[in-house]
Amino acid sequence: MSEREFLARKTRAAIDAFRSQRLRWVTGRSQAKVEIDEKRYRQVVDSIMHDEVERHMLIGAIKEKGPLTVEELSQLTDLHPSTIVKHIIALRYNGVISEAGEKNKQYLYRLL
Amino acid sequence: MAEEFEPLIVAFCCNWCAYAGADLAGTSRFEYPPNIRIVRVMCTGRIDTTLVLESLRLGADGVLIAGCHPGDCHYQRGNYMMEKRFSYIRKALETIGIEPRRVRLEWISASEGGKFAALVREMTQQIKDLGPSPFRPANNPR
Repeated sequence: MSEREFLARKTRAAIDAFRSQRLRWVTGRSQAKVEIDEKRYRQVVDSIMHDEVERHMLIGAIKEKGPLTVEELSQLTDLHPSTIVKHIIALRYNGVISEAGEKNKQYLYRLL
Repeated sequence: MAEEFEPLIVAFCCNWCAYAGADLAGTSRFEYPPNIRIVRVMCTGRIDTTLVLESLRLGADGVLIAGCHPGDCHYQRGNYMMEKRFSYIRKALETIGIEPRRVRLEWISASEGGKFAALVREMTQQIKDLGPSPFRPANNPR
């Protein structure tokens, strides 16, 4: 994958992330209504934004290629397998993805 | 001889201030580069983050968001909302790996035609210095 394609994929993931309810909810909040200081609030929003972009990269890759293993997702998104597993746990918990059989002794993940 | 890179800048201008400022720049015959494509919106507060990211993804070299000065918003809080959203846009660009300086937020009133023209000149030069958008195909320098 060329650098330009990778950047386009990441940008599309960011656009999807900003369309998602979760990111809209946190970025649309007024800081005054949240009982934490501004610095902490910023850190929380930044980390959510970062996670959402990465999760939408994974979702985009599965949408494009069909069921994928962690290793395949890592190759497609350039994310570390441990980061992918962390996101898969969250996405599975939220009912976005689920297992879809095995390949080379690794679970395949598909969108629900 | 290689053609000089001419950037494409998408400008989202608020109807009440910046767009009127751009109009004044035209009627006052202030010269500015033709690299800018103006999109009139009713308020900067309605410019979604996705519009800015989509503009860059589709090949814009820079995005300018121009609205009323703080305290002058026609809808009271629109420009403050944009200011807050702008910090998230910059953060998102850093996360993706796009130079955040490609996107600018500026305040221009309806009487600041000269400022609008000067801003477009300055931003065009800034984007020229940054180079073409990473989304632009290598064989299409425009």
